[in-house]
This record gives sequence, C-alpha cells and structure tokens, in this order.
Amino acid sequence: MGLGVLKLDDMTESGFFLQGAVFSFLILAGALFEIFFCYQGDPYLLPVVQTILAIGLVFLTRINPALAADQFIWANLGLIIYYAVFLILRDYRKLGEYQYLWGMLALLMLLLTLIFGTTINGATSWFRFAGMGFQPEELVKVALLLFLASYLSDNKELLRFGTIQVGKFSLPDAKTMGPFVFIGVFVLGLLGAQKSLGTALVFFLLMVFILYVATERLLYLVVSVPLVMVTGAAGYILFDHVRVRVATWINPWLDASGGAYQISQSIFAISGGRLLGTGLGNGIGAYQIPNADTDFIFSVIAEEIGFIGAMAVISLFIIVVMRCFCVSTRAVDRFGQILAAGIGILIGVEALIILAGVTKMLPLTGLPLPWMSYGGSSMVGHFLLLGILAGISHSSAFSVSQIPIGKQADAL
Amino acid sequence: MNNGIRKIALIMVFSFVFLSLGLVYWQVVKADEMLDNPANRRAIYLEERITRGGIFDRNGVVLAKTEQTADGKVRTYPQGEMFEPLLGYATVKYGSAGLEATEAETLLGMKNPSILRRIQNAFELQRTGNDLILTLDSRLQETAYQSLQGKTGAVVAIDPQNGDVLALVSQPSYDAGAIEQDWDEIIAEADSPLVNHAFSLFPPGSIMKVVTSAAIFQAGLDTTELYDCEGSTVINGQTIQEQNDKAHGWVNYDLALAYSCNTYFAQYGIKAGVNHFLEAVSNFGFGRDIPFDQYVPISSITRDDPLPENLSLNLFAESTFGQGQVMVSPFHMALITAGVANDGKIMVPHLIDSVLDSKQNSIYRRTPEVWLTPLSKEEAEKITSGMVLAVNKGTASPGAISGAQIAAKTGSAEPGGDGDTHAWYIAFAPAENPEIAVAVLVEHGGTGGGAAAPIAKAVIEKALELKEGEN
Repeated sequence: MGLGVLKLDDMTESGFFLQGAVFSFLILAGALFEIFFCYQGDPYLLPVVQTILAIGLVFLTRINPALAADQFIWANLGLIIYYAVFLILRDYRKLGEYQYLWGMLALLMLLLTLIFGTTINGATSWFRFAGMGFQPEELVKVALLLFLASYLSDNKELLRFGTIQVGKFSLPDAKTMGPFVFIGVFVLGLLGAQKSLGTALVFFLLMVFILYVATERLLYLVVSVPLVMVTGAAGYILFDHVRVRVATWINPWLDASGGAYQISQSIFAISGGRLLGTGLGNGIGAYQIPNADTDFIFSVIAEEIGFIGAMAVISLFIIVVMRCFCVSTRAVDRFGQILAAGIGILIGVEALIILAGVTKMLPLTGLPLPWMSYGGSSMVGHFLLLGILAGISHSSAFSVSQIPIGKQADAL
Repeated sequence: MNNGIRKIALIMVFSFVFLSLGLVYWQVVKADEMLDNPANRRAIYLEERITRGGIFDRNGVVLAKTEQTADGKVRTYPQGEMFEPLLGYATVKYGSAGLEATEAETLLGMKNPSILRRIQNAFELQRTGNDLILTLDSRLQETAYQSLQGKTGAVVAIDPQNGDVLALVSQPSYDAGAIEQDWDEIIAEADSPLVNHAFSLFPPGSIMKVVTSAAIFQAGLDTTELYDCEGSTVINGQTIQEQNDKAHGWVNYDLALAYSCNTYFAQYGIKAGVNHFLEAVSNFGFGRDIPFDQYVPISSITRDDPLPENLSLNLFAESTFGQGQVMVSPFHMALITAGVANDGKIMVPHLIDSVLDSKQNSIYRRTPEVWLTPLSKEEAEKITSGMVLAVNKGTASPGAISGAQIAAKTGSAEPGGDGDTHAWYIAFAPAENPEIAVAVLVEHGGTGGGAAAPIAKAVIEKALELKEGEN
C-alpha cells in the first residue's frame, strides 16, 4: 500500500521505491519462510524484530530521509543475512568447535580498530574504507558470544563447582578460568583504550550474566559489583568525557545549551510527547536532538507517538529478549542454550543501557538501539545473531519428545 | 541452568519496568515543568505551526491578526500604535508582551484542550488558535488616543455598570507591527513605550479625597458641619497647605470636595481616625490584587506595606489628600471612579468580552460580577453630589459638557523631586445614571483641570455620543 502511495506521488525515482519493494518482498518472504523451509522454531522472533525494524525505518525516514535510504539497504542486507545464516548454517553446533578462533578474532578486530580506526564522537571504534564507516565492535559481539557460549558449555561444571578451596568458597583453577579472564580483560581493555565505554559496559554485563546463567553461582554476580565500581571510578578519573557525562547526568539543567545539550534536548523531547505524543512528524526533537537518527531515536519516538508508543516499543524489546530466553530453555544442547541466553542478554542489555541513558536514568553512553538506530554494522551483527538463534530454535523443535536423548545431534 | 535463565529474565523484565517508570516520570509527572524550562525552545517552535487567533474590539474591528504571506506568517496590527502597549506584541525574536503574552495560550488554542481536542491536534499539522473579542470600543479608544497624543500618561474608560473596559490608552506608544525593526529605538525612547502607564503606580493627589470621603462618612462625622479654611493648617508640627495657599473660607463637605480643600480632608480624615481610613482604602482595593486578565500592581498606602496596620499622624494627614507615600495606578483609579458611579459597587473589570474557537463557537463569555462594595448607595450619592459641585462650581469645571451632567474630581499630585505635578482627572457621566467612568493621568502635565480635564471631556462626549447612536 505504501508503495502504491509512493507510485501515485511520483516518487518512484527517489530510491525509496526500489528499496521499499525489496524490503516488502523480504518481509513477505519471511512470512512464507516457515512454509518453504519447514521452519519449526520460534514463530514470534522474526515478526517482532521486523516490527521493530519497520518502526525504526519509519522514524528514520521522518528524521533523515537520506540516511533512511541507506538504512533500507542495510535492513534488506540484514534480512538476507538472516535467511542466509539460517539456510547455510544447517547445524549451529559447528560454530562451537572454533572456540579460540572466535576469541582471537574478537581480540584481533578490536586491536586493528584501535590501531587503524577513526575516532568519531570521542570513541576510536570506526574503520573507514572505501568511504564507508564500519564499527567492528558489532561483529566482535558475535565472535565474543560464540566464544563465551562454547567455552562455558565446555567448562560449566568446573566453573560451577570449582576445584580449589579458598576459605568457604570453592573456586575454579587458573587453567579453567584463564581463557575467560584473559579474553575478558583484553576485550574490555581494548574497548577502554578505544574509549567505547558504552560497549565496554555492555560486554562486561554480558560476560557476568552469561557466566551466571551457565553456572548459577551468585558469587560471580556479587564479585562483579565491586569490579563495576572500580572500573567506573577508573574511567571517571581517566577520561574527560566520562566526567562530563556524569556531571551532565547529575544536573543537565546547569549547562543545558553546552555539555548537557544532548541529554536535556532528549528529556525535553520525551516529556514533550506526554501520553499520546505530538503525532508523527509533529515533534521538535527530530531537529533539535543531536544524533536523533542513532543513539537518540527513542527520544524522537517517545515525543511523536508519546508514552503509549514508547511503551509499545519497549514491549517489543521485552518480547524479543524473553523469546530468546524461551529458545534458550528449550534448546537441545548446552552450547545452544548458553548461546541463545547470551543473545537475549546482549539485546536486553544494549536496549536497557541506551534507553536508560536517553531517559537520564543512567549516564549517557552512545549505543545504537538494536534494529532501530541507523547503522549498518549493528544491523548486520544483530541479524547474524538472529539467524543463529533461528537455527537453535529450529533444531529444538525436533527434540526431546521425539528423539531419544543422546541422539539428537545425529537426528539433524 | 534454566533456573539461572529465569533469574536473568526476571532481572531484565524488572529493568524494563523500571525504565517505563522513567517514562512515566518524564512524560506525565514532569511534562509541564520541562516545557517551562528556559532551555526548552519547544513552545516557540510549536507556536510557529499554529496560526495565532485574531484580536477584535467589541464591534468586530480587527486589532491584531496573523496573515499568511509568501515568507511565512506575519502578525499585523491594523490600528497601528492606538492599542499599544495594551495589545503587546508576539515575535520569535523578542518574545511577547501585553495581551499577546498573557492570552497566548488562548490565542494559540492550547489552554485546557479536551482529550478529544488533543487527539485532533495530534493529527492536524496546521492549526488555528482562538479569537479574542475585547470589551474595547475602537472609536472611543481612538478619541482617547488622539487626545492624549504628544503627552505621557494614560486614559482608562470603564462601563461602571458591568466593569467592561471601553478604552485603555497609554502614551508613549509604539507600532507592534514594526517591533522587530524598531526594537532598539523603542527601548531607548524616554518614558518607556513598552510599559503600560495605565498599569503603573503614581501618587494620586486630590483624587484620593474620594476615598477619604468614605472614611469620613463611615466614622459618622457630620458632613454639613462648616469648616473655616485659612489656606493652611498645622497638624502635629507639619504644615498642610492648600494649592497656591488659597483660603477657601467656610466650607462643608460638598464644597470642600468641590474646591479640593486639603486642610478639610486632613482635619476631618484625622477626626475619622486611622482605622476608618485604612478600612476605607482597603474596601476600595488598596493592598489587594485586582482580578484582571492583565497584571496590575497593587496600590499601596506606604512604601513598605501596601496596607499597613497603622500610620504615623503626619503620614496619615498627607495620605488623606493623596500625598505622602500613597501610590495608585490609573487603572485602579478608574475602577474607584466606576465604583462611586455604580452606587458604591466596583464591578470586576473585564478586557475580554468573549473567546471564539477556530470554528467561531463561543468558548468563553464574561459575566458581570461585583468585586468590592466600598460604599453604600447613600454614601456614593453624597460623593457624587460633591463631584457634581466640583464640575459646576469647583476645580473640575473644565471638564463640563453640554447636554449631560458629569461628576468629576481633579488631582495635581506632587511627584516627588522636581518637575510639574501629575495632572489627574476622574469623572463619570451622566451623573444621575452613569454610563461611563474615566480616569486620566497626564504625567507632569500641571493641574488636573488644565491638562487632564479636556481629555476626559473628549472621551466622555464621545462615549455619550456613541451610546446615543446605539439607542
């Protein structure tokens, strides 16, 4: 229908038409996907993500049509990647075999970015080649998740019960804990050196939560609290822009036209939306907030479709995260289980941190909202994960009830 | 492991719920406060999308309207300077003032919209605000404006029976249509054209005797008693002088008001007592907020306290004839005059007759109501007879008109420091059945009879002529 309007408005030249057509086709393909490929996995994940994607595209078109044209390409590419990952990767368990490769790949990508990367908005997290910007850290997320999931599925018992007794606690030995700590420290260290502190926080929470999921040991959660405090304090002392962020978080109204411009404009936009919003296209925030197309897209949404619309978007994210956990509980093997939970944790943590940032509940950290903010790297990365998730979910469909335990792997 | 997943899932859900509480905080609890934040330009940008409603006089004459031109919206004021600074201005650059500022929410249609209206607003990009119909009569306004032109001061004309403000002029004035080009000149000009002089405070001088009269009556003093005015008197070591030291000889209350005898009002005011005096001024609205759409400063008896508990004898003596530290606005003085005219009842003043929404449905209409009752009918009649005598035999005679009896009182107030006295003239007509009450102030104009009376006369003549035309 939208395409028809574009056609009527004689806007077929605008570049939206072709991309819109491809997008519509891919969405339709998604609907037929289950039938064509006998997809037996979670039926909610893809439609919900597509809804998030569509809302994001609508708002991007409203905020910045030029960027939206790009984003259509990325969205289409993302959907293709999703289908491709699902089709090519017949057995996701193979991913678990390259445990240390993923870990090293993550480190290598971050290291290369740090050395050759470009600095944008204070963070050295961009690779530029052929005129295109690319954020490797989005792919690092995928690599890191794969590493963590396979590592944890191999070492779950050791981490859970420990081999060395220290006082009341039984801790895993250095050899078991080594790779995890090594990769963790390096990944976070490199991100810190790049000054991508938001991403560092996401990775840190991801590692802590996934460790907890795998081991169910509260000890790991408890230990992480002082760690967050110490690293947070270190970041505060080391980096100027962290101090500014914290100061503007505590009182944005002191310097609302200077350092706190972003956050105060974001708050003004959100509060301007009230219950029902100003109506799509009527908001002021789309012109006033810097980075309205990426980090602050949620503020524009909250202004233009109000509390009701913003809650709908939040609910969509809750559904995605919860479905990830559902997939996780039903997964047939430990690797898939941890991986699916990890994907859920990652998406949830990302959404929470940036949403809490734009609503001034946490200091602001620049992060894209998955599937919604403008950005190709994030789109590709998240669709990769979604594709893997579909694989896990699909596999679990032929599970426990029909196939004897122990032979599940052979059955596929 | 499922247990761990459930716990993490629970943490996530709680975090999201907490997040939505944040949204409630900003979008519901703090929404109004954030809109008022000075760094928030939202209201101004939103305003640009709404076509401000028009402002009309009581007969439908356009006073302000927004026109769509090729370069965008332009606010025009077809009557030029005549209605300024009352009307004010509304610009993106310099903000807004006057009615344009105080009635902005009404003009923009943003005041208390219904839920349905809000939903409609959400889907309507170009909107039109409400129209304001004022109680002003542009013909009377023009007469007042023309008569005061070249002077500094204010003219306020009120319908005493219902409180309608019929004319309100303040000079100097400015052209609101050219405010953006002329801004620097306007703010540099002497006597501040942006300030509405009708809403500024001045010493009232002898027109205060109308108020003091109430204290004399209410103390039960005999107003037929004769008093020998010798041109000056000494009270508590302080000499009270008549204007030009003129001895008025034997006067009763009526003659004392007609001749504007300072010593009579000082002596009889003190005889009435400070409590009766302070009660009378309070009943006339001193020390009170005036219930009006525009901000009018509180009229005051002393510098430190608008309505003190007590007064020193010397200050009390001076206050009885409007000197000392007494300050009152021309607007309030017009209300006091209207109160005398309306059998002692001061009506709530109205500037806005009605409000029409963009589809011309009436969404507000003023209703006449009594604000204060400082005088009984008999007391009001006594003052009226004194004011009639002032026109026929006394200081107010330059305001007399043919064909109708007016009641009036002059004032020549010492402004403090050098310079000519402020010329005051308060009047209403016809005395027996008042249709208009006027207060005129010409700053540093000299005597009330000389500078202010001709202006009041012109306005009253015009008002009665217009009434005649209606009937």
